[in-house]
Formats: sequence, structure tokens, C-alpha cells
Amino acid sequence: MNVADSCSFSYKIVDNGDAALTIIFDEPSSEILTRKIVTVQQKIKDSSGDDFLDIIPAYQSITILFDLLKISKDNLKKKLSDILNQSIEPSNYQSKLLEIPVCYESEYALDLSELARHCQMSERQVIATHTSEMYLVHMLGFLPGFLYLGGLSSRLYCPRKNNPTARIPAGSVGIGGEQTGIYPVESPGGWHIIGCTPTPMFDPTRDNPAIASPLDRVKFIAIGQSEFLKLQKKYEETTQ
Amino acid sequence: MSLHFIKAGLQTSIQDLGRHGLMHQGISNSGAMDSNSIKLANWLVGKPIESPVIEVTLIGPIIRFEGPMTIAICGAQFELYLNGDLVFNDETIQIKKDDVLEFDRIRQGARAYIAFSGDLQLTPILGSCSTHLTAKFGGFNNRQINDKDRLEITSFTLSSNKKIPAINEVTYSGNYLLRCTHSVESEQFSQQQSKQFFSQRYQVTPECNRMGIKLTGKPITFKEKPDITSCGLTQGSIQIPPSGQAIISSVDGQTIGGYPRIANVISADLPILGQLKAGDQLNFTLVTQSLAEKMLAEIQILQNKMTGS
Repeated sequence: MNVADSCSFSYKIVDNGDAALTIIFDEPSSEILTRKIVTVQQKIKDSSGDDFLDIIPAYQSITILFDLLKISKDNLKKKLSDILNQSIEPSNYQSKLLEIPVCYESEYALDLSELARHCQMSERQVIATHTSEMYLVHMLGFLPGFLYLGGLSSRLYCPRKNNPTARIPAGSVGIGGEQTGIYPVESPGGWHIIGCTPTPMFDPTRDNPAIASPLDRVKFIAIGQSEFLKLQKKYEETTQ
Repeated sequence: MSLHFIKAGLQTSIQDLGRHGLMHQGISNSGAMDSNSIKLANWLVGKPIESPVIEVTLIGPIIRFEGPMTIAICGAQFELYLNGDLVFNDETIQIKKDDVLEFDRIRQGARAYIAFSGDLQLTPILGSCSTHLTAKFGGFNNRQINDKDRLEITSFTLSSNKKIPAINEVTYSGNYLLRCTHSVESEQFSQQQSKQFFSQRYQVTPECNRMGIKLTGKPITFKEKPDITSCGLTQGSIQIPPSGQAIISSVDGQTIGGYPRIANVISADLPILGQLKAGDQLNFTLVTQSLAEKMLAEIQILQNKMTGS
């Protein structure tokens, strides 16, 4: 376990099985920390790109999966410590703003009334609150192209359902606990579904299958059903 | 020329060694769950060991071949019939036009791999022909193989008869000792919890698939809720959710995990996960990093000896 004094953050490097290491940063999740993580991740890629198979940034950590036959864990650990102990210029990543159209009408919002009741708000207030915030992408995971978003108003916090729904359609927008997000592919899930976007969140035929990266920003724009159907048709035509 | 699936079987899909470098987008590696058997099968038919093959799960297919070719089947042992005559794993099988291969009762293991001397006509997606079954992309038409599907095969030559050397052969007893090293939250488990985990016997539940393997044993309980933050989840991670029952993550699993991990199956033992089925018995043991590295290197040496590389 290493604790670095010389750099602007403290961290430890822990084992994640025999072929991965996880760098855990000793500070709460924030936009500043996500920017640091993006920076360090890029630095690792630039300086030892051949040594790892995958690199997974998360809220407060970076996990590096490596080829055990090519580099020993001790050597990789040393390399990572060296990188972390250098002074690192913060990432100048230019955040994209993604405006994601969402239809909050009842057909696509199976749990909106229940969530509104829990939050003691009208459905209209829920939609107004959900669309008024600007969300920050912290990380991707869970499902292909799933964005972990920060910035949900505490007024919309709502515990996950006790019994997960078996099939949530792709594009569904939900709230679970203190998080909001979009199901990129059809999946079972325990979040309250409050709407649906026609925008494909995940397209494996693109070089970059996910729609956003950490540090990008997301804003939800309420649309009606006719607009939803129009956009859905447009996307179906362009992907065929 | 094509392969005609008269019956597809339970979960038959195209897999190779998977795709890497996309976990940061939430895309798990996929690929053959038993990465050892796919290599053996490809070697038998004279193909690069990472070539796409057909992964067969528990209930196998019935396939009619519309042209001559050489095939090989490795991994789980089924009763295999070619036009009604028994044929066997771990050796080349020469196929004539209109031959029918039938997978009958499964005897050992869970997943078999069929390799072909020809090239399956597939378009790689994100660097791999593997089918990602949960995200529905890759492989044959972005899905598992269904009854009556036809798979095109091109540009092949027959390969000469070969057998897997006895030293490379694997058997599946249904009773396994999986070796582990530490994972991210291992230190958060008490000595008593660790002792319980490494001393008790687990049973594989029917919830055993390419995403993960749920086990049942005496639950591991927490006095206090463990303090964890979601972070990168790797194959072989053994998570303990609030139920106290262990889950081992696998090739199509999530890339971010939110439950504490007590241990992680070593790379050398990951292929066994592909051969687990409901009712199998598991024990876990803790080994050192250097032993884990040595075990993987030994497997590599055995494979190199076989392939002559």
C-alpha cells in the first residue's frame, strides 16, 4: 500500500485479482476528482500503453487490467507509482454538452406517478426538476454505454424498487437511489422509469460505441410523443 | 457452403478470445468462457488459436454440413454422433457433404467448442467476432444461433488427422478447487468471514451463465454495512452481495461492481468457470501472486509445446 505525499492527491494501489490493480483515491467523488482521474488515466495510457489490456475509470478509482504473461504485477505497480508521483497537468479535456430528448409521457414513464408520490411532488414538478439540472458524466459501466451521472436533485432521490422489472426497454430513463441514468440496452433493472429517449445511447458499429465520456455534460429535454416517434424513426433509418 | 443448424441447442453462439480495451465504455470482454478449450480445438483444425468457434452450452446442436471439412470439438464431453456413429472430443473429425453431427447427452463439463478448418463468414465488431449476448451485438446476426440458421463457411482446406496430446487433455469432475488471490475489498472481510469462505464448500446454482455464476453455501453475514465505492470489476471477482451468497463474475459481466469482493479466481483457473453447471461443488483456496503467475506461465508453456511455437 502506497501513500504519496509528493503529489496533489493521496492514493493507494490495491490488488484486484492476479491480473489487475486498482488505484483508489482518498477523496470523495467530485467533478475535480473525475478530472484528475481522466488526467491520470490518459497519462497511464501514454506512458505504458502496451502493458495493459483494459483501463476502467470509476468515481474514485482507476482499475488497470494487464497481461500477466507480459508484465509482473510488482513491475506494473512500480510504474503506476512513478506516474502518480510525478506532477500531472490537469486534463484540458473539452467537455461536450449532450442534449438528450426524453419523452416523459405515461406510455414511456411506467413509474413516474409512483416516484412523484414518493417525492411528494406532482408529475409535472418531477419533469421540471429532472430537466432543469445539468448532469456530469463520472464514469461508464454496468451495461455497455451506461453513463453514471452526477447532479440529481436531492428532491428526486427515491430508493430502488424491491422487485426489479424483468425487461426495461433500451432508452428508458430512470431514477434509483441518488442516481439518474439511461438504460442503453434492454435489461432487467430496479430503477423507477420516468421516461424514454429515442437517442441511441450505444451503437457497437461506431468506433466509439458510447455516446459520451467522463467529464461530458448531459441535459434532458422534454419532448412529446409525436416528436419521440419522429426521432425514433429517423434513428432507425440511419442505422439500417 | 454452409452449416445448417437443424437444432440450435440451448445457448449456441460464436465466440473467439473476446474484445479488449472497451471496458471503460461498459463493454465486457465476452469471448469463449473456457479460453483453454477454444485454443485446443483451433489447434486441431490447423487454425490460429484465437479464431472464432461455436460455443455450445449444456444442450448441444444438430448440424448438417453442406460440404466437406475438418472439425474438432474440445471442452465439455457430450455423446457425439456423426450420422449415428460415435465420434469423440479432442481429435479431428473429417466431415463429408451432408454429414449430420448430433450432440446427445452431456457427460462432463458445461461448454464445448467446435472449431472448423474453414473460415466462418463473419464481420468482426469492435475487433472481435464474439457474440455479446446481453448487449446483443457481434457474432452471427448479433444473437445466439437459432433453429434453422445457416452459417456460411468459406476458403478452407481439409486438415490432417490430429489428437490432443495426453498432457493437454482436461477432464471435468464437477468438483473443483479454485485458487484465488486478493481483491479490492478482501481486507474489509474479518478473519472469521475469510475463514468461513475458504473452508466451506459451495454449490453452483442454476443461475450460472456468461455474466456470472451464483453459488450457494452458508451465507457470509456482515455486522456493519461494508464501506465500498463502485469500481472496475474483473473476471473471476467473487462478490458477496447483501444475501451473503457468493457471485463469481464472468466474460459478459458488468464492468463496474458495487458489492464487496472477498477474493478473485486466478487467471490460470478462469477457464474452469466455463465448465461449471448447477450442482457442481466448489472450494476456494488462497494462493500467492507469484504462484498465480507461475500457474499461468505453465499453462502457456504446455500450449506452446503442443503448438510448437
